Amino acid sequence: MVELKDVSVTYSSGVDALNHVSLKINDGDFAFVVGSSGAGKSTMIKLLLKEIDATEGKVMVNGYNLSKLKRNKIPELRRTIGIVFQDFRLIPTMTVYDNIAFVLRVIDAPTKYIRKRVPYVISLVGLQAKTNSYPTELSGGEKQRVAIARALVNDPKLIIADEPTGNIDPELSYEIVDLLKGINECGTTVLMVTHEHDLVRHFGGRIINIVDGEVVYDEILGGTDED
Amino acid sequence: MKISGIKYLVGQGVDNVWKNRMMAFASFCVLLVSLLLVGISVLAYWNATSIIGGVESKNEVIVYLEDNTTDEEISQIGNDLRTVPNVAEVLFYSKEEAYASLKQSMADYQVLFESLGDDNPLVDAYRIRVEDIGQITNTIAVIRTFDHIYSIRAPYDFVNILVQLRKILMWVMGALVLAMVIVSMVIISNTTKASVYSRREEIQIMKYVGATDAFIRFPFFIEGMITGFFAGLLALGITWLVYTSVVNTLEEQSALLSIIGMGNIIRFSDIYLQVAGCYIFGGAMIGALGSSISIRKYINV
Repeated sequence: MVELKDVSVTYSSGVDALNHVSLKINDGDFAFVVGSSGAGKSTMIKLLLKEIDATEGKVMVNGYNLSKLKRNKIPELRRTIGIVFQDFRLIPTMTVYDNIAFVLRVIDAPTKYIRKRVPYVISLVGLQAKTNSYPTELSGGEKQRVAIARALVNDPKLIIADEPTGNIDPELSYEIVDLLKGINECGTTVLMVTHEHDLVRHFGGRIINIVDGEVVYDEILGGTDED
Repeated sequence: MKISGIKYLVGQGVDNVWKNRMMAFASFCVLLVSLLLVGISVLAYWNATSIIGGVESKNEVIVYLEDNTTDEEISQIGNDLRTVPNVAEVLFYSKEEAYASLKQSMADYQVLFESLGDDNPLVDAYRIRVEDIGQITNTIAVIRTFDHIYSIRAPYDFVNILVQLRKILMWVMGALVLAMVIVSMVIISNTTKASVYSRREEIQIMKYVGATDAFIRFPFFIEGMITGFFAGLLALGITWLVYTSVVNTLEEQSALLSIIGMGNIIRFSDIYLQVAGCYIFGGAMIGALGSSISIRKYINV
């Protein structure tokens, strides 16, 4: 669950990135966050990952009150969140398997569990044949699938996808969102940040539009692929 | 953390050396040069102070006693001299010994001694060696307060030259060692920063997936330690070769040796354990701390 109550973020440069934003995303929801560049989408992600702090207001993520969360507890919070980046951010010196297994090693998961869980997650994103490949040997779409598998492997409560289709071919974008929708149907909350309006119109659902740091629209829309 | 987790992190550290071999090699070279610069400066300083110490130890102060001093008083003065601070060695030199020695050194002037008959014009004396030649004035001032002291002869000019020389050497070599340490630290810091900078994304990814600071730092620590260990090992080998060949060359220079004394040059076999310890332990620690501290900037995500 994500809840922002009257949250404002002002950077030290004086720029108001978010201005009295309030919104709530319940467990199991799928929401698109849309807005143009500089609207405040990235600030919101940084806020949810506690990379930055709110200047005002209250931020709750998966039961953690971020304004009261101590620095040494940040890893604990982040282990409840899976993150997918536009530029994939895979570790180039690790294979697909190791990039995904790495998340479980961080939480000191038993080796036996890692050996079972990682191939399962790789199979969910359809990359069994690429298990031992390095990121440089993958296409953009495949890299993003690895990133989704990495976000998923820890069975997080929330997945934040930051422009996950920004660096891949348009036709593959639909596959990626389909994948995220499938994950959401299994109960994981998904927050997808995008500026691709076609994609949003196609899939529909909850749309949160941010303009100049303010939520100007927060509604549920029917998509064009309803059938 | 479980044993398997520690094993994984150590393995990651070892793997990273190979995976980032170009930067690891750069760090290795910088560490090697830095260790050699500091190590050789320190060895040169040790030897210089040892040579000066050797020359200093050859000096002595002669305390002449009054002619009418009794045997008991002579013995008492000897005991008192041994209690004076900074006195390292006290040797009695009787007037008979002195006279015999004088006669021997002036064998061509026997006629002078014959005219004296059985009279011995010399006096008993104590030959004293001091620990710190720089403190010789204070030591003599204390001895002067004793009874039955006729006169004291000390090599003041020589002492002054040696004290000045030691001071200059201490400052020059100290400054050189300090400069080498600072230069090395700046180079090491910049190299490790460059190495870590090239992997800042990797560190950020680790942070985003919930890795603790310790989990991220540990492989960097191991990686730096391995690089530093091998740099220390090679520095030891190079130092051993260079040092031994320099000492061997000096051994062939008999004229130079007669001044400095071969015994004052420190043999590598006498110090190899300390040198090996400093190089290997120092290299490993500088490497480990350098890389794990340098990631601090990127770890605060």
